Amino acid sequence: MSEMKKIKNLKEFSTSADRFEGANLLCPGCAHSIIVREVLNATNDDLVLAASTGCLEVCTAVYPYTSWDASWVHIGFENGSTAVAGAEAMYKALKTKGRLKQPDRNPKFVAFGGDGASYDIGFQWISGCMERGHNMMYVVLDNEVYANTGGQRSSSTPIGANATTSPAGRVSYGETKNKKDIVAIMAAHNIPYAAQVAPNKWKDMVKKIQHGMAVDGPVFINAVSPCTTEWKFDPKDTMHLTDLATDTLVFPLYEIIDGHELNITYRPKNVIPVEEYLAAQGRFKHLFKDQYKYLIKEWQERVDANWAYLNRREEARV
Amino acid sequence: MANTGWDEFEIGAMLRTFEGEAGDTVGTLQEDRNYTQNSSFSASVADWRIEKPVFNKDFCIDCQFCWVYCPDISIISRDKKMIGIDMDHCKGCGICVEVCPTNPKSLLMFPEQADEESEIANWPAKETKEK
Repeated sequence: MSEMKKIKNLKEFSTSADRFEGANLLCPGCAHSIIVREVLNATNDDLVLAASTGCLEVCTAVYPYTSWDASWVHIGFENGSTAVAGAEAMYKALKTKGRLKQPDRNPKFVAFGGDGASYDIGFQWISGCMERGHNMMYVVLDNEVYANTGGQRSSSTPIGANATTSPAGRVSYGETKNKKDIVAIMAAHNIPYAAQVAPNKWKDMVKKIQHGMAVDGPVFINAVSPCTTEWKFDPKDTMHLTDLATDTLVFPLYEIIDGHELNITYRPKNVIPVEEYLAAQGRFKHLFKDQYKYLIKEWQERVDANWAYLNRREEARV
Repeated sequence: MANTGWDEFEIGAMLRTFEGEAGDTVGTLQEDRNYTQNSSFSASVADWRIEKPVFNKDFCIDCQFCWVYCPDISIISRDKKMIGIDMDHCKGCGICVEVCPTNPKSLLMFPEQADEESEIANWPAKETKEK
């Protein structure tokens, strides 16, 4: 096993040589590239990457340019995970046969996918990868909507959000189904590591990525990625929105080891009411009309219940 | 290469990111890499900007928050010091200004046509906290 990159503080982190390039076509203020940079800079090892169709894929590989300085596979909506799993299986086979030119380089296999490609379209493929036990990492860039195709709802879209296929108006308050708990589903495959991360907590993120790369077996990472276009906020507020998501506990940060050992890795000192998180985004604007105000209360109850559930699981070690 | 359409290539043709051997990417900083025209590093999105960030190094404490949260790899940090902004790749989102913790901020947004030197000369004074 190659040595883990030492990142003690942000100054040390900032000496990393980026392997993801600027002048990609992601929107100004997009959190996708912040997450990708933090993942890529967390390791010094060679990387084999893939991206399922989504904002990240189409914006970083527009002819004649590529924004990736590592091996990267551009592939269909559903099979980013299996492309990387295939590369990993091939690598293992060649290693066993002794046919690798540089057998001691230990590349890391990482697949990226949006929430559409992971929660919906590529779901069974990811499940397959997790079940087969490939030595790979799957990172979801969860912006809770199909942002690339114009903001259709995905199964990650939370209740009350205005999406183009679940529009809010006089008769409807927008999305009516709650968000799928993908980390719990993936952890139920008894994989060695599943975690939820946010780009604003970079140290927590780097720690989890490095842990994930060090363990042998499939790793699932869910990263919150505020979308300035579809969540409807000012590009400069991306980090503010991420702070709100983690501090209101809408997006709690935790890890699940071996499918049962749950650890909460970030406990906000001051928990902010969910109302502030909702108020900061244009997609929840209609919830503040009298007619739909009861939904805000329901939101808070749901978030509190989820936090209590996570705490109980952490305590009980199940 | 620049004038070749995507349909004019042989099937299976390879467009390379680096001239010659890629070598040790992770140990080479961007200015020392040998990019080809196919890396988006050679492209520019400077014309996306309406506002540009201006960096005043007098107030910078090298916390590197702007470096880690920049989505466009436009904050140039070398040897743990923030040395400037890559204006070819900056899209002017303003995240760096928002996350800057100093008082007054060492990064501020100004209209694209503003003159950097005069803006730095007229930098806002330290804000006093109201009690």
